[in-house]
Amino acid sequence: MIIVTGASRGLGKAITERLTERGERVIGLARSTDALDIEGIECDVSNYLSVKKAARSVKKIGEPVEAFINVAGVASMNMAVTTDESTVQKLIQTNLVGTIYCCQLFAPIMLRQKYGSFINFSTIAVALALKGESVYAASKAGVEAFSRTFAREMADFNVRVNCIAPGPIRTDLLRGITDAQIEKIISQQVIQKQFKKSDVCDLVELLIDNRSSSLSGQTLNIGGV
Amino acid sequence: MNIELAEEIVITVISEALEDLEDKAEVSDEMQLIGGESLLDSMKLVEVCLALEDLADEHGFEFDWTSEAAMSKSRSMFRSVASLAEEFANQSRA
Repeated sequence: MIIVTGASRGLGKAITERLTERGERVIGLARSTDALDIEGIECDVSNYLSVKKAARSVKKIGEPVEAFINVAGVASMNMAVTTDESTVQKLIQTNLVGTIYCCQLFAPIMLRQKYGSFINFSTIAVALALKGESVYAASKAGVEAFSRTFAREMADFNVRVNCIAPGPIRTDLLRGITDAQIEKIISQQVIQKQFKKSDVCDLVELLIDNRSSSLSGQTLNIGGV
Repeated sequence: MNIELAEEIVITVISEALEDLEDKAEVSDEMQLIGGESLLDSMKLVEVCLALEDLADEHGFEFDWTSEAAMSKSRSMFRSVASLAEEFANQSRA
């Protein structure tokens, strides 16, 4: 069984589709399960009790959780000086705190089974220090830092933790970003092309697979930095 | 669950966790579970919590070892065998 947050749209939806296609039982966590095409559990990742309740529901299913994929996130591309307080709070609460809540509250399931893989989502904006994404990048830098240390805490239990850091991939999160801005970001990648959702799905498959058993505590920047 | 039963359960679980130790230690009420004096490393402590979770299930309640109520007291429930047993008994009655 694989759990995916933010499964109702964008990258989360693409990942659930890919995993479902290959025959995995995928459970989506979303604030509303109405928009999910798959089995779902209502969960607001930014709310500790909501995540705790979801973890309890998953535990009750009684099946091993092979992977937990933290895709749920929000973006806001603004200079720090023009970002209002509520946006700052929302970015940190959903992207960073939400990831931490999901990892800490679902970890006992994997600790018990003594295997599993957490896949958290960062952004290439962290490594490239992209102008206009300071608060968003800060929230995701927190995810990377958390994941590195969390990986060490989980290692003795054969549980791996890694991050995927996509570049500009066409999803709702990129609303309002112009083609010129995207080109500018891509020009800073090692591989200067715009990658697709399917490239992210390929990496997810790799990180779930036992063939990546040597990888933990790593951030995979799509396109390279 | 009364405190005596909770203590018995906690002491049994901790004794099992410490079985691999070369120097066998007697598990007492005052034994520290965290900090420099603890014989349990972090991995063993997690295993103790998971075992207590299972035993709580058998006794018909949920043992929440991550709860704010349990962790935010002036001192952690893991400060000693006695405090962990007390928390375990309290959660059984909640």
